[in-house]
Amino acid sequence: MASDVDTAPLVGRAELVQTVRSALLGDGAHGQTAAVFLTGESGVGKTRLLGEIGDRLREQGAVVLTGSCLDIGDASPLHPLLQALRRFDADLSTRARTSSAVRGLLQMFADETAGPDGAGALLERVSRGLHLIAEGRPLVLILDDLQWVDRSTRQLLLYLLAGLGDLQLSVLAAVRAESLQGAHPLRRVLTELRRLRTVRVLDLAPLGRADTEELAAAVVGRTLSAEAAEQVWQRSGGNPFVIEELARDLRDGRDGLSETLREIFLDRVDALPQHAHAVVHAVAAGVEPVQHWLLAQVLRLPEDELIDAARAAVAHRLLVGADDGYRLRHRLVAEVLAHELLPAERSGLHRRYAEALTAAPGELHQARLAHHWRLAGEPARALPAAVAAAQEAERLHGYAEAHRHWSAALQLAADPGPLTVDRVELLENAAEAAHHCGEHARALALLEELASLRGGEPSCALHIRRARYLAAAGRSALAEEEYQRALKAADCSPRDRAAAAARLAELLLHLGRYADAGERAREALALAENVEGSATEVVLASSALGFSDACLEDPDAGLAVMRDALDTAERAGQPEDVACAYLHLAELLTGPLNILEEGVVVARRGAERVAELGLGRTWGTRLLAIAINGLFRVGQWAEAEKVVAAALRHRPSGADAVELLLARCRLSVGYGDIEAAGRDLDAVATLLAGGGARHVIPLLTLRSGLAMWEGRHDVARLAVQRGLTESRSDDVMILSALVWHGLRAEAEAHASRTVDVDPTAVRRLRDVADRVARKSAGAARPVRSVVEGFLALCAAEVSRLDGSDPELWAVSAAEWDRRHHPYPAAYSRLRQAEALLARRSRVATAGKLLREAYHVAQGLGAVPLTSEIRELAGRARVSLEEREPTGATRGAPTEASDDELAALTAREREVLALVAEGLTNKEIGQRLFISERTIGVHVSHIFDKLQVRTRVQASAIQLRNHRG
Amino acid sequence: MTEPVWGPVHRDIVDLLADHPADVPAVVDHLTKLQDMLVRLPPLQASCPLADFNRLYLTITSSVLDGLYDDRFVDPAFLSRLDVEFAARYFDAMRLWTDSSPGTPKAWSCLFERMRGPDARPLPSAAAGVNAHINFDLPFALVTTFDHLESEPVDGSDQHHDYLEINKIFADKIPGLRRGYLERWQLLIDMLNGDIDDWYQGELVEYTRDVAWRNAQKIWRCRHDPDARECERMRLDDNAAALGRLLLSPLGAFLQ
Repeated sequence: MASDVDTAPLVGRAELVQTVRSALLGDGAHGQTAAVFLTGESGVGKTRLLGEIGDRLREQGAVVLTGSCLDIGDASPLHPLLQALRRFDADLSTRARTSSAVRGLLQMFADETAGPDGAGALLERVSRGLHLIAEGRPLVLILDDLQWVDRSTRQLLLYLLAGLGDLQLSVLAAVRAESLQGAHPLRRVLTELRRLRTVRVLDLAPLGRADTEELAAAVVGRTLSAEAAEQVWQRSGGNPFVIEELARDLRDGRDGLSETLREIFLDRVDALPQHAHAVVHAVAAGVEPVQHWLLAQVLRLPEDELIDAARAAVAHRLLVGADDGYRLRHRLVAEVLAHELLPAERSGLHRRYAEALTAAPGELHQARLAHHWRLAGEPARALPAAVAAAQEAERLHGYAEAHRHWSAALQLAADPGPLTVDRVELLENAAEAAHHCGEHARALALLEELASLRGGEPSCALHIRRARYLAAAGRSALAEEEYQRALKAADCSPRDRAAAAARLAELLLHLGRYADAGERAREALALAENVEGSATEVVLASSALGFSDACLEDPDAGLAVMRDALDTAERAGQPEDVACAYLHLAELLTGPLNILEEGVVVARRGAERVAELGLGRTWGTRLLAIAINGLFRVGQWAEAEKVVAAALRHRPSGADAVELLLARCRLSVGYGDIEAAGRDLDAVATLLAGGGARHVIPLLTLRSGLAMWEGRHDVARLAVQRGLTESRSDDVMILSALVWHGLRAEAEAHASRTVDVDPTAVRRLRDVADRVARKSAGAARPVRSVVEGFLALCAAEVSRLDGSDPELWAVSAAEWDRRHHPYPAAYSRLRQAEALLARRSRVATAGKLLREAYHVAQGLGAVPLTSEIRELAGRARVSLEEREPTGATRGAPTEASDDELAALTAREREVLALVAEGLTNKEIGQRLFISERTIGVHVSHIFDKLQVRTRVQASAIQLRNHRG
Repeated sequence: MTEPVWGPVHRDIVDLLADHPADVPAVVDHLTKLQDMLVRLPPLQASCPLADFNRLYLTITSSVLDGLYDDRFVDPAFLSRLDVEFAARYFDAMRLWTDSSPGTPKAWSCLFERMRGPDARPLPSAAAGVNAHINFDLPFALVTTFDHLESEPVDGSDQHHDYLEINKIFADKIPGLRRGYLERWQLLIDMLNGDIDDWYQGELVEYTRDVAWRNAQKIWRCRHDPDARECERMRLDDNAAALGRLLLSPLGAFLQ
């Protein structure tokens, strides 16, 4: 290309390039996903860095896909990925296999059709496709201008970064810092992600004074005079883009240095030949990259003249040309040019774009057509394109983008003109898309417009629809009223009536109004009896009735209803109904009824059945999650682990995936697999960065449980504190588990002396425990039962802060035994034994409790719990094997060949180890359950045998012999 | 070499700002540390205008934290996110100011500029911070929070209720602050929450407190449209900056 497009060297970023490279492909990223987000202001050099790093990674053997997001609104779902694939395909010359994998993935997008669960299944297919393209090589996805990313791409990134795609992927993305101000959705995403080990958010600062001078000197070709250097520094503020342009002006001896960037570019635009002028403005009005043929049609220039004009624009550094078309050199150029055209000139350009594109379908075809026709001032022609773009977005499950296009279509249709459109249909589509993408208020507003357009009394169907939207928006009271209206509507068919009653029952159940829910459910069942093919309503109503009966203390009746519903669903044969019936039956058994074994069996059988019916990915995953949690609680951890692995093979996404990862993490925490648990917690946090609050408290509870096994009680405390400030006080079950974790963290801190107890935290936790007790008093029996278990643990942990009370621990153990949950029961026994030993009473009972707990913990594979039991047994000289007589000396693992300590007995060594930790005799006595006086005797024996006179000397010997 | 933006506490403040607090306890911790640093900032030290604001903001955020622990709010998940998002914008503004970025919101720079003097009275200084924070930051914090929680700013919702509850905390805290400031606080807060015209009409106190909420609803509707969103941001920034300058002018001292 022209001589003036030579790029200046990359100055002042060497360290950054290295950091990014090693974060993405270094040892740390081994086998895991990794991401780096570069944020910085316009012109700071983000795009340049992406290119540079991309090249280096390619040299290292990575497969690099590069795409950019577009600023014409949510143009099209997954546009940057599609663009990256097309570019990659165009660049491929040799590898036939890779090329066919790329084409296969592109074809998959072309063949995709809208359907239930399409979005999740699409994510899975994309990750499979990427897997084939990577062929085992590291895969790097580079995305520029992420501030314009569409929602589908955002979800895809989080899905892949959470490791759900089972793909080793690195993401490198650039975000304009200016865009993150205000209310950009990426703000929250980045705040959450930047806390993860595998994610870096790097803020790209302007260059410093020295780097500014170096860059300017490199462009000019010689060292700058002090005066010029000062000017460049002052005017550029260290922004490399500005430095480069200023330095170029300086080199070319243009008169005086331009004051602003705007002046620089305006001067250049003015200096352009006439056709080049037109080229620059045409590209500014287009959607980048603007292909050569398109530019030719828009400008209607002969080929030679067009090429000359484009060359001139490139030479003046306003335009860049690449294989896929022309772009403005920089976003800043577009901003300068934005106000330079008359409105009539601009709309003329858009018209010509639209005309040219009409004849040649291509990438983003409908979205671009709609965009250009709209800006050309031709609503009648923009409208069909907007409708087509909306349908295209729905095909790829991008409801947010579809909603934008439907809304644009409505606006276009609102303009007076010779338009013949079915506004009702537009409104219906727009409302449904808004509902799908969570724009509840907008969906309701569209529904209002629909109602007033139709006039007269709203129909029953409309009431039901409004109620559905209201319920989704969490506005339950209004939703209830709306269902009531639907039931009273004159045009309500028996079928509609059954549906409304069933949904109302479901709503009431969620509100905890069991009696009302039961009543409505019975009504719905009676109505459904006379309607052919109403299995959906029967299943819905039955589950509401089943749960309400169970919660109103008639479990058998509830269970019977639910089993009947499953039969009905199987007879009717609708897959979704069958799946729904299995799910509710399994939930009923494992939830309120606490019949865990049977619940697990039902859930697993259901998962198999729905997989046969083609719903394995969604409903099957949900059923397996129920089975896993049931297995965890009954203590069949190994089995639970197997089921998790099986469920993850379905590659679930969204909330389903979060449930599974949390379940697996719970197992890892129990096993004491810190690495695996940490990985799952990060994956969950990644998914939750995309939105949602429901799973935050379970996440924090697990985080604190994990931190406690690591001995990081302060970290555990922080996780609980966050949880306490973010959970609703009516979620008593979740809250009671969290409070127990908090009190346990304080008790562990107290016992281990690693961290000071926080009296304020303890007071707050006790307050919350009291509040939970009060609130749960009025709750349904099954809820109360769970809460009571945790409150028993809480009370016992509190006692640990002040001389642990064995009676309270006995209560807790009994509470969990009653519910058949061996893990917390074993934990309670350990603490009960510890408390008894501390009081040096009923040592035999303590031994028995420890052996019971040990047996259970070993059976579970609960490593940290087992080792705590062992450690306590060791200190208290309790044998854990029943055959051995109590008090037999255990083979202490440290009893190796440490010569200096050879003369000491096992007990003396234990005492010495604690002396070396700096504990007083009294403290050692408490720790080993013997009196302070006895410790004094041990210590004097130790001094004699080691021939020392002070604790410090003794400690030194201990440390010397235990350095490894 | 010019003197760093934060003078002798520059390093401390930069290090503090490198961390992004993710929950309300962490925000309170952050503000507490910041307070210790700001009062060491020459030349004004304890009477640093930003410290005046930070002190008030810390008091209010601590009360919000107590409220969260004491079950004062219906939807704590919402309120916590909002509080964190809200504070993040204050820290963002400080970060931009640290980098001497032209992107620093004008609503904030007018207060930051006064850190080197001339000394402003504590009341108008704190009020200028409250102005920037409520009239500029709050609507965006609301929008981001709703977006993240997959919810929406709907009048009469649980979230709206909690949001109004914060206003009560402001009101509760103000009598306690009267020992330090004067009695016009309530009036001032009301005024700051709305257009001055509304205030002159001497009506609609409830309405004016709701201005940030209304603005959030406005931004919510255009949040997918980058141009419209940016336009709204500039408008709010300009308005808040104008009010902020007024507060820090001799006219503001008159309020003291």
